[in-house]
Amino acid sequence: MSFDPTDPSVRPRPRPRLSRRDLLRGGLWLGAGIGAAPILAACNNAFPAVESAGYKLARPNDPVTLPFKDSNPPIDDGLDPETGGAFKILNYEAYMAPGVMKDFGAKNDVEVQVTPYSNYDEMLAKLRTPGESFDLVFPGPNVLSKMVYAELIQPMNHSYVPNLVNLWKEYQDPWYDRGARYTVPYTIYGTGVMYRADRVTSIPENGYDLLWDDQYSGEVNLLDDSSEAIGMSLLRNHISTDINTGNPAFVQEATNSLIDLISLVNVKTDVSAYSQVPEGTSTIHQAWSGDPIAGQYYLPKGETPDVLGYWRPDKPAARVIGSDNIAIPKGASKPVLSHLMINDLLDNDIALQNFGFNGYQPPLTKLSARYLIDRGLIPENLMSAVVLPEDFDFGLTFYEVTPDVEALWRQFWSEFKAGG
Amino acid sequence: MAEQETRRDRATRRLWPALALPGTFWLIALFLVPFYAVMAVAFSGSINIFGEPVPAWNPLDWKYGTFRQVVSDSISGPYQEVWIRTGVYSVLALALCIVIGYPVAYYTARLAGKRRGLILALLLAPWWINYITRMLAWVNLLQEDGYVNKTLGFFGIAPVSWLAGNAYTVVIALAYGYLPFFIIPLYASLDRIDPRLLEASRDLGMSPVQTFLRVTLPLSKLGLITALVLTALPMAGDYYTNTIVSGSPNTNMIGNQIELFLLQGPLKHYGASLVLLLSLVLLFFMGYYLILTQRAGRDAR
Repeated sequence: MSFDPTDPSVRPRPRPRLSRRDLLRGGLWLGAGIGAAPILAACNNAFPAVESAGYKLARPNDPVTLPFKDSNPPIDDGLDPETGGAFKILNYEAYMAPGVMKDFGAKNDVEVQVTPYSNYDEMLAKLRTPGESFDLVFPGPNVLSKMVYAELIQPMNHSYVPNLVNLWKEYQDPWYDRGARYTVPYTIYGTGVMYRADRVTSIPENGYDLLWDDQYSGEVNLLDDSSEAIGMSLLRNHISTDINTGNPAFVQEATNSLIDLISLVNVKTDVSAYSQVPEGTSTIHQAWSGDPIAGQYYLPKGETPDVLGYWRPDKPAARVIGSDNIAIPKGASKPVLSHLMINDLLDNDIALQNFGFNGYQPPLTKLSARYLIDRGLIPENLMSAVVLPEDFDFGLTFYEVTPDVEALWRQFWSEFKAGG
Repeated sequence: MAEQETRRDRATRRLWPALALPGTFWLIALFLVPFYAVMAVAFSGSINIFGEPVPAWNPLDWKYGTFRQVVSDSISGPYQEVWIRTGVYSVLALALCIVIGYPVAYYTARLAGKRRGLILALLLAPWWINYITRMLAWVNLLQEDGYVNKTLGFFGIAPVSWLAGNAYTVVIALAYGYLPFFIIPLYASLDRIDPRLLEASRDLGMSPVQTFLRVTLPLSKLGLITALVLTALPMAGDYYTNTIVSGSPNTNMIGNQIELFLLQGPLKHYGASLVLLLSLVLLFFMGYYLILTQRAGRDAR
């Protein structure tokens, strides 16, 4: 309806004074109008499917060499390390030994600061925050290429990292970053099931079944990670051995099985198996292999590591494995020091000190499983948490996938998180 | 003289809108702009290298497919149960707030006497401590071998698995967390009731219970509704309480779902669409509240 000034029955009213309540009401209608607009405009525009990442995705049988760009060169040789101020690390919580950071800070006259994240999404968000700069970051292979193409990380200058030779051979030239141009590996891990050995009387042949055992109802936890949880369900239920599948039927079936866990055992999700199981708040917990090893340091007084157990499939080809890497953000304020810290983390003694804190193995040739056990860092009953080189020859790993496969997994994960 | 007054009137007329300017800018900067940003994400039609939606700032570029899907999933799909759960938990927690908070507010306003200041300070004390810190403290208290179970054991009651992902723990935690938001406005409303009305009621032969039901309760109705609205709005979007005391998908509320989409993975347009939908639902209740306050204002005149 519009106002007609010639219509004698319609007169413009004197403008009323606005009361506070009127303002509130106006805001209400404004808000309602904005909010209702899309409902009124009932267009049928679906979000586009993106079946290609726009660049080659790395696979173990089809490795990639990440590109160098003129706009993102490595630092020059022979530069002096920066001193003073903060050296900022973007990393998982409790993933680097405080002693290692303190020693590095003292040696180089900097204060090492850690900004924590709980998953790669959060890491990417923090790294991309305008005005923020970090000196080191720890991405996995499944987010690496996009970080390179978006120029979030810079190429490394290997002349500052002589300790590269300490790495397992396959990690000096990994499939996701041929020539280790942008990364060096930090830790390797497998995924399995951590449990309280004093409460679990028998381990089924398929240890994943422990998570579906209703006698532990209320004490079962999954990793709060869509890939790990759905991937495990794909394997446990023999749906597929392709843990990066883009088949919606497979992902749905795996998700449905996870949804069963809600009514069966009232499953919970988190990433703190290393403390939950030792402290007894969880009896069965899907866990990374570093969790049980670090877990021995979280046991209550008087308890020994015997109360902890860890299961992974016997066959290397059925095992889920992964790695975290170290990279230097493009906007690093102390890039020379970044290289020096990477070199330190590949030093056998420093890596051993770090392993003694976080429980995650560095893939260094000298720090073999036997070496770590002999030094009492891995109890005999947690041998299954040790990741071996053959695991990486045959094991299953999460790759970077296309945006539509990523969206598919996330959508099903959201259904599980919604309670089914 | 008259000319001087007119000038003063004009200056006064200009002064009040000028005083409203900072508030208006504040609203625009901190509400409308972020709200528009949420819409630009919700109605985005393209993604960046990380698979995340690129905000569509121009309304002509808006695509509504995701929003339509989220609405559909909320009405009859996977999010339907989350919405119902959010509503049920909020209503139960609000009921607990009324049962616990009303007597406290009533006592403070009408019976506390000299102790009123102290009680008010104690009621505000939880705000001195960060909300999440308080919730984390409850995690310690509610553990299997925590003080709550030890106290129950003292009375011969079997220990309760409070933190095993139970709905009742979430409801209790929500009520605990938001109780001060409920008590303070209700107290203000009860405090404003003219004591002579209560005396008149007693003089006319009404019992204390009748006085409460026929005088105090009706007169505090608006305060009660205000308290409920102030408590319900943040409660409906809460996610950290649930995360801390439960962590189970079985108790996830809509705030948890929004957090999942916005903080994990590339489906931020789903999270933004849920934010818009939640805003619409809350605006509906806010509208009802405004109608009630308008009616109450009319009745008072």
